Amino acid sequence: MKLIETDVLVIGAGPAGSSAAKHAARGGADVLMIDRKSEIGSPKRCAEGVSKEGLKKLGIEPSPRWIAKELSNVRLVAPDGTDVKLNEETVKLPEAGYILERKVFDKHMAMDAAREGAKIMVKTLAKDLKREDDSLVVTAERMGETFQIKAKIVIGADGPESRIGRFAGLKTAAKPKNMESAAQFEMGGVELEDPNSLEFYFGSVAPGGYAWIFPKGEDIANVGLGVLATETDKSAYQHLMEFVENCPATRNAQAVELNVGGDPVGGMNKKLVTDNLLVVGDAAGHVNPLTGGGINTALEAGLYAGEVAAAAVKEGDFSKKRLEEYQKLCEENIGKSFDKYLKAKEYLLSLSDEELDEVAKAFQNVKLDNINTKELIKLLVKVSPKALVKLGKIF
Amino acid sequence: MKKISEWCMYCGECAGVCPRSLIEVHETDLIFNEENCKDCKLCIQVCPVHALIKEE
Repeated sequence: MKLIETDVLVIGAGPAGSSAAKHAARGGADVLMIDRKSEIGSPKRCAEGVSKEGLKKLGIEPSPRWIAKELSNVRLVAPDGTDVKLNEETVKLPEAGYILERKVFDKHMAMDAAREGAKIMVKTLAKDLKREDDSLVVTAERMGETFQIKAKIVIGADGPESRIGRFAGLKTAAKPKNMESAAQFEMGGVELEDPNSLEFYFGSVAPGGYAWIFPKGEDIANVGLGVLATETDKSAYQHLMEFVENCPATRNAQAVELNVGGDPVGGMNKKLVTDNLLVVGDAAGHVNPLTGGGINTALEAGLYAGEVAAAAVKEGDFSKKRLEEYQKLCEENIGKSFDKYLKAKEYLLSLSDEELDEVAKAFQNVKLDNINTKELIKLLVKVSPKALVKLGKIF
Repeated sequence: MKKISEWCMYCGECAGVCPRSLIEVHETDLIFNEENCKDCKLCIQVCPVHALIKEE
């Protein structure tokens, strides 16, 4: 059987994998990145929101080729239609800034990795992984040909369905209560109240999650939702059909694309590394548990993974202990912030439709730029003592 | 045995929750290792389009 040898093998060419490949190659390692699909970035499994600041922090120059729209407003909609409007000046919003064209963006990120020297193979599936001396050997399949790839370090960026980490003994399987089932249409003819607002719909429209409308310019938008299978017997797709039929913005819209997929929202995995291997992106739970957004964190974690892998290759030490530097960087810069988002999610999901309406009404009548916690609590006492009690229980 | 409906979109969410890592996701195929399946049905539950059907 043909054998390819490399320092670093990256499995999965989404934002996490491409970022890891780019930074490992920049650090001087020989890098090979494989992806099971024939087209990197397609089909998308994503609402395409990304934070402007986050891209800037990573030194990714925005390109009009992959930015569909720039926006900074958020509209939160309660079950009875009461809405709360936020903008970037008043509240710091994760994942607000750009709506991407993921199919173009992902290819560009992969090409950036290639420009740093990484090799790429598409339509290449990792079938198995085994340990051999101080390296890992992955059996791969490409267009009918089976071959082996021997790597000092494997970076598993193989998405929410990740098996690479599991092959090496890491627990990356998500519990159903931590895995959103998501379905989304890209639609034309969407009638938006504010084409510059990301819209979020809460309550029984999406049990265990929320519905979203992310505008992509003109009358185009990603319209989707995530549900927890533990909270509903209907499929995400069935919920989406109902939402689209009932939402004023989408009643006359037409779908040109359907996307589905899982979104791990249980927070960051406890173990991200083992000997010769690390996991990154959706495979590692690098997803904001409140919003379900993960592009920024995937890119950031990819940077840490790539840098640590390259340094480990230089030192000739691929042990779990050496790679734990990556784990620490992720905990410090990503995991910590997830804890508060997890609590916020827990609170949001604990509220009934009526309580959500009441909370929205309380927020509607205040100027958000000059509200403080004390005033907020006073307001909640007035409109929804029950919602306040739940808040107290969680925080 | 599990039947994969023709509307399966191979998103791999089933593989993500399989506690025994028995599902291999290809670009346009799912391979189930039925032999080691303990029939927990999590894969069937989470499918966003309910494309997996249990066949007796």
